[in-house]
Amino acid sequence: MSASQSAVRSRAEAVQVSRTFDWMILFTLFTAVLGGYHIHYMLTGGDWDFWTDWKDRRLWVTVAPIVSITFPAAVQACLWWRYRLPIGATLSVVALMLGEWINRYMNFWGWTYFPVNFVFPSNLIPGAIVLDVILMLGNSMTLTAVVGGLAYGLLFYPGNWPVIAPLHVPVEYNGMMMTLADLQGYHYVRTGTPEYIRMVEKGTLRTFGKDVAPVSAFFSGFVSIIIYFLWHFFGKWFAKTDFISDEAS
Amino acid sequence: MAATTESVKADAAEAPLLNKRNLTLGILLYLVFYSFIRWYEGVYGWSAGLDSFAPEFETYWMNMLYIEIVVEVILFAGINGFLWKTRDRKVMSITPREELRRHFHHWVWLVCYGWAIYWGASYFTEQDGTWHQTIVRDTDFTPSHIIEFYLSYPIYIITGTASFMYAKTRLPTYQEGLHLMYLIAVIGPFMILPNVGLNEWGHTFWFMEELFVAPLHYGFVFFGWAALAIMGVVNTEVMAITKLLKKDLA
Repeated sequence: MSASQSAVRSRAEAVQVSRTFDWMILFTLFTAVLGGYHIHYMLTGGDWDFWTDWKDRRLWVTVAPIVSITFPAAVQACLWWRYRLPIGATLSVVALMLGEWINRYMNFWGWTYFPVNFVFPSNLIPGAIVLDVILMLGNSMTLTAVVGGLAYGLLFYPGNWPVIAPLHVPVEYNGMMMTLADLQGYHYVRTGTPEYIRMVEKGTLRTFGKDVAPVSAFFSGFVSIIIYFLWHFFGKWFAKTDFISDEAS
Repeated sequence: MAATTESVKADAAEAPLLNKRNLTLGILLYLVFYSFIRWYEGVYGWSAGLDSFAPEFETYWMNMLYIEIVVEVILFAGINGFLWKTRDRKVMSITPREELRRHFHHWVWLVCYGWAIYWGASYFTEQDGTWHQTIVRDTDFTPSHIIEFYLSYPIYIITGTASFMYAKTRLPTYQEGLHLMYLIAVIGPFMILPNVGLNEWGHTFWFMEELFVAPLHYGFVFFGWAALAIMGVVNTEVMAITKLLKKDLA
């Protein structure tokens, strides 16, 4: 290959080539992150995300942010430090949520006939936007981890409150007090319905009544800070461009 | 004047940098095929997929499993064998324009790989959750598994290895050795398939209910992380393309 030769015929063609690559890269990054993030999220926090009767004030609020801050931190590590693109967290979360919404409509409802208001995914977008904004304004991984990570945990419940509140109102059914979400679960029996499987509001924290969700969110934010640090470094590692020898030893 | 005319003719005859037809056909191929698969499981999951001891289960599901495994092995060997057999033995002496064209072609493969990962890791994997929360399984080869594990995963494996093979055999960028993140981006998701062995062993041994967050499933999670290695591939590609275009974009 001669260095003096040009790969393109004009500056206009060079610009067009560059833009075309941008779109192809974006599509591939979006779908690959979607696949990896979705399989991670559904198998570490999925049950709390699938069903409204799992979306409680304690474990859902605790688990979902901790397991979902992973890919946003990793993708930020590549897109911000390499390209100054402040969209890593939002891109990851939008990809995940698109995959989830398609699935809940096409399969949870379309194949097995659960109503969508029983199986809608959790909203992670507010926390992701805050993560990106803090990284963009602060240009600091430490600041994003500490302030952004904590905010990510704290914002999860308020971000979902408008959707879940109507399903957390109490109802009396056959002499028992439960939430409307519990009632949905009561009517839509699943193989994971038995109470020895369903992990909802276990332990004594429930006796604290109104404080359960804020305490859970605060704890979730604390762990999210640590997870952010860890996954930011994972992201930097996955963004490496090293080669290893291909000669047989 | 004559020389200019010849040059224009040569440009017109030259293959385009990006073969948009291949790109469109590639995306449509997965979309149309998986739409058909979704229709098939929607109809025959309920009518023939509830009892693995029923004769219709053998007809509609086990026969599908046997056919898809054979076709996948043939496709894997055929595509990768073809790419290897037709490799460029003088890859370091191609012109910059040809190199750019090959990068575009490589990206058609990568777009298809990302698309195939979406269908396998997102669409059909979460779908498995709702099927097994609805139907109590009486076999490892449920309709959902026959599609997810033994169809959608092999398809992204075939696409990913072909993409890697194309890069390794036709692009100067990848002649330095083995690109570590490219290897991880292909082998990590591939390892999800062998991990099915652990999954099925565990489901058979311990329980049949589908608790998705059960530790038994964490092998899938670990190998799913490997999809992030696509960032290393993107970074390498951006550097290579920048090198080719830098002079003209300055």
